[in-house]
Amino acid sequence: MARHEAGSPGETVGGSPAAAPGFGERSAQLLLAHTPLGWLVRAVARMRSSVHFKLLAAFLLVALVVALVGVISLEIMSRMSAQSEAMHHAHERVTSAQEAQHALAMQMNYTAMALILRDEATIGHILKENNRLNAMLAEVEETAPSEEREIIQRIRGAQGDVMATVADVANLVRDGKIDQAMNLQLRSGSPLFQQVEGLVEQVVRIEDRNMARQRDATTRANRHAIYLMSGLIAASLLLALLLGFVTSWSFILPVRQAQTFLSRVAKGDFGATVTVDNRDEFGELAAQMNRMSAELRRLYDEQREAARQLETLNVQLARASQAKSEFLANMSHELRTPMNAILGFTEMILDEIYGEVPPSLRDPIQDVRTCGQQLLRLINDVLDLSKIEAGRMELSLTEYSVQEVVETARTSLRSLAEEKGLEFTAEVSQDLPAAYGDGKRITQCLTNLVGNALKFTKQGRVAIRAGLDGERVVFSVADTGIGIPADQLDQIFGEFRQVDASISREFGGTGLGLSITKTFVELHGGAIWVESEPGRGSTFHFAIPLRVPEAPATEEAA
Amino acid sequence: MSQKKILLVEDNEFNRKIVRNLLAKQPYELLEAHDGEAGVAAARRDRPDVIVMDVQLPKLSGLDATRALRAEPETASIPIIVVTSFALSGDDKKAMDAGATAYLAKPYSPRQLLDTIRRMAGDA
Repeated sequence: MARHEAGSPGETVGGSPAAAPGFGERSAQLLLAHTPLGWLVRAVARMRSSVHFKLLAAFLLVALVVALVGVISLEIMSRMSAQSEAMHHAHERVTSAQEAQHALAMQMNYTAMALILRDEATIGHILKENNRLNAMLAEVEETAPSEEREIIQRIRGAQGDVMATVADVANLVRDGKIDQAMNLQLRSGSPLFQQVEGLVEQVVRIEDRNMARQRDATTRANRHAIYLMSGLIAASLLLALLLGFVTSWSFILPVRQAQTFLSRVAKGDFGATVTVDNRDEFGELAAQMNRMSAELRRLYDEQREAARQLETLNVQLARASQAKSEFLANMSHELRTPMNAILGFTEMILDEIYGEVPPSLRDPIQDVRTCGQQLLRLINDVLDLSKIEAGRMELSLTEYSVQEVVETARTSLRSLAEEKGLEFTAEVSQDLPAAYGDGKRITQCLTNLVGNALKFTKQGRVAIRAGLDGERVVFSVADTGIGIPADQLDQIFGEFRQVDASISREFGGTGLGLSITKTFVELHGGAIWVESEPGRGSTFHFAIPLRVPEAPATEEAA
Repeated sequence: MSQKKILLVEDNEFNRKIVRNLLAKQPYELLEAHDGEAGVAAARRDRPDVIVMDVQLPKLSGLDATRALRAEPETASIPIIVVTSFALSGDDKKAMDAGATAYLAKPYSPRQLLDTIRRMAGDA
């Protein structure tokens, strides 16, 4: 149930919860509010596809990006590999060129050595070096550009001349013409050597330059690769983060809004609504919650209306009850006041307060008193009955004496018994302890029964008895009157009931007395019953607890 | 020697007449008031020896008048006989709680009233 009035029913909840947010939280809020990111989040939220689809799409995109990055990095790696190969190749060529140079140098060395050593082995070496030179040149020539090839051709040519000269020198050495050999070497061999040397040097330099260029290219390629990869990684990271942020926030926002909304509703703010951008399952959820809230509001309003009506009814009931009590009090007063005057005056007249009463007037005045007393009894009965009907009858519990009750009943009706010539006895057990109950009402009950007994008995006797039976006091009134037929016995205590209409005509009475007596007996927690034989007489008994516990008033349905 | 004063507070004229006739041959001076306010004023002014107060009175109810008289020191000790109409049970208790010295239920026997008045006045 709502414990407080909703401020304005239908207030929209859109923002974040009031709890203190953390740093990450706040920066996220800032991003959402002030950047196009917020727009993106809302755009994703507004997409009409399911949450499932959105999540899958986001992850797929990220996977795609990762694949792309992978492919590109593979491509770069293969390019780097190629570069490495080329580098290696260039290096080899440089080595070959240098070997060629070395071979040439050794050739020159051995040619000089041959002049000194003058042996075949050395000449053999010269040839070997020549071969090596050629081999090296061939290696370089393989993938050489045209200008380099041209140089190598010239080297070959020159080398041919060199070898021719070397052959001549070798022959001269073999022939032992050392001086001529040396001369030839100096004049032809050396300059030729130098020519070849210069050419080979060129080749070496070309290859060196080549390698240097290759190294630069590789370095550049490396740098580019690094830039590219870094760029790609950064971009894909950013994309992944962006996707994660946007997707998750497109779900988190409505959840937060729902949370706030629900806590408001739980506090009793029915009829509040929540608005989310989402058109997916979260949007549907929000719509349901709104419906729920509206329904709660309706129920709450209905309940309040019902409570208000109940309140009104209660007030009316209380007023009616109050009116009843006032009416009863008024009626009692209004009826008893004139009775007081009637009975008071008649009594004072008969007491000769107004002077001597002439004998002729004594009888009629006594008749007036008798009728007045009857009228009073009737009024009392009617008032008692209306109190019982109104549920206002209460017992006034005090200590009373059973002896006194019986004595009072006997005294008040003794004259009637005398008038009718009936025997009238009372018998009370000795040693009856003090009783606790409404003594006045018990007396009224007993008087009612005795009065009835005297009324319906034309001859014989009426006997009152009172005694203790366990925890109960039992009163009995036995008469030798007209009796009650067996089939009427259980109805006799009903209101307005007498045995039949003829009895009313003959004996008078309204039949109220017995029903009132029964009510009082039962209010005491007791019971009343009768034994009777038509033509022989009746005995009425009632038993009540000796000490009555506090009993509630009769509360019958109004 | 002045007579003792009995103040009767009763709105019904017949009942007033009864008490008037009842006390005519008695050595008491009867003062009458017709409603609760007049009753309280008369009690303050005339300091009766006994007050007979009906419960249902116009302007101020008998019990309220009794309470008012009990609250003032000058009238607090005057014996008050409250006459109840015994409508609802507890009427007698209410009367005693309001400060009645004795109570009588309507319809009462004039003889009974006279006896009670004499007892209250100290003449029984």
